[in-house]
Amino acid sequence: MMTIKKLFIRDGEGKITVLQTAVNLLLALTAFIVFFSFSLKRLGLDLDFSFLFTFRYRLFQGFGATILLSLTSLVLSLLIGGFTAFGNRSHILPVSYLSKVYVQFIRGTPMIMQVYLFFYIIGTAWGVSNRFIAGVLILSIFEGAYISEIIRGSLESIESTQLEAAKAVGLDNRQTMRLIVFPQIMKRTLPSLAGQFASIIKDSSLLSLISLIELTQTIREISSTNFAIFECYIFLGFLYLSLTFPISMATKYLERKFSYEN
Amino acid sequence: MKIKLNDLCKRFTSGEQVLENISYQEEFKSLAIIGPSGGGKSTLLRILGGLIMPTSGEVAFDEKTVTYTEKELLKHRRNIGFVFQSKGLFNHLTGKENIMLPLVHVHGYQKKEAEKVAVGLLERFNLGDDGGKFPSELSGGQQQRIAIARAMAIKPRLLLLDEPTSALDPELTSEVLDMVKELQDDGQNIILVTHEMGFAKKACDKIIFLVNGRLMEAGESPSLFSDPQTPELSGFLSKILEWKV
Ligand SMILES: Nc1ncnc2c1ncn2[C@@H]1O[C@H](COP(=O)(O)OP(=O)(O)O)[C@@H](O)[C@H]1O
Ligand SMILES: [Mg+2]
Repeated sequence: MMTIKKLFIRDGEGKITVLQTAVNLLLALTAFIVFFSFSLKRLGLDLDFSFLFTFRYRLFQGFGATILLSLTSLVLSLLIGGFTAFGNRSHILPVSYLSKVYVQFIRGTPMIMQVYLFFYIIGTAWGVSNRFIAGVLILSIFEGAYISEIIRGSLESIESTQLEAAKAVGLDNRQTMRLIVFPQIMKRTLPSLAGQFASIIKDSSLLSLISLIELTQTIREISSTNFAIFECYIFLGFLYLSLTFPISMATKYLERKFSYEN
Repeated sequence: MKIKLNDLCKRFTSGEQVLENISYQEEFKSLAIIGPSGGGKSTLLRILGGLIMPTSGEVAFDEKTVTYTEKELLKHRRNIGFVFQSKGLFNHLTGKENIMLPLVHVHGYQKKEAEKVAVGLLERFNLGDDGGKFPSELSGGQQQRIAIARAMAIKPRLLLLDEPTSALDPELTSEVLDMVKELQDDGQNIILVTHEMGFAKKACDKIIFLVNGRLMEAGESPSLFSDPQTPELSGFLSKILEWKV
């Protein structure tokens, strides 16, 4: 009795054994699958994924588009986030307030509103007609605000003693940035930035609203021709998971690695 | 080394006067700054080290007045070693890299030469095994000794230490003070803020006593302790020595 209980209860030190992990993970997955198939039974549905094979070329293209879209947006949003994080703390007040307003606006409004607003108003007014470019811009502006906060947080967590020591050994401002501040925030932000990359991948699905042909839009188009909604969206879920799961593992790894070093 | 402070004042933008009309002139090898906390000791030391600017007044070392402009201060700091109370090591670098960084990026050493200097210093101060560790892996005493080694690596004209032992467990204090003593015996000019009255008395030749931003008393080392001139200093000494064995 005791030994069975032990399998399911975290010990006093909070350690989890490999066996516990295996058993409980299996249990959770089974529960999930049982619930799902039971729901499908009630609907009287039999799932058949085989038709997806005929769409393999389009699916592959959509998958590739999502990856390309996310990677490009990652780079651009890092730039935007970096500049506005430093801008936020700038001694030049207009720059500081511009950064603050940007972050507040983006984080305070839903992405769906921004997608429409930026695409139809700004995109049209400024003549950005290429959907991919528009999509990258919208996604980067959105994610940039979150990355900005991540970077600002870690900038603020740099102890003032580090900056004072940099001054004392005779580093000038640029050297202090390059040799002290930058390496220190790299370590601290890398795990959160990896996590944000997973968000970028998921959030890119909202760009299907402007008919950008990425993964979600591809599935939407396929399901609208054959109405196999369940198969389509279950498969879509697995495709996104195949991208975000490795990133989530990497995030955990980075968190552990850097928690030891600091 | 000669120091001259002329009517030095410091007021932070936020508040009241932290240093009030400090004037002082003396020739010293080791100068200790003592006084109750909040009295302005750290502020004075930071001004001497060129880390912050005085509101008014003058500082001169060996008859050379310090020019408080950003450009001149950068040069000034490069001739001075500064050791903080704690956490002064760069925490993303190992002990050895901490010592090498100023040599390479400020003083133009090749990496190889800088490493040789760093290893030499680490060995001299029995820190040979700790050079490869990050600050978080070192004891407070080891951190402070590496911070002192880093400050000494550039062969500074003057070494400034701000309560280098006050964040340490008592049993680690002496390893740091021993190191400071060794540097003094080598002829290094030192200005030290400290609460270790025994050290100030025995190892320093000149003392200044700072209370509430004012220079209350200044003098030669042993005599100032045995024969305080102001009631503030006698009060301070008896308070600080009350529980000494
Ligand atoms: N950067 C600062 N801004 C505003 N006030 C400060 C600053 N640094 C120190 N002070 C104030 O100056 C006074 C003297 O501080 P300090 O020089 O650190 O004293 P001590 O080192 O003798 O304890 C204190 O009242 C402290 O609050
Ligand atoms: Mg102090």
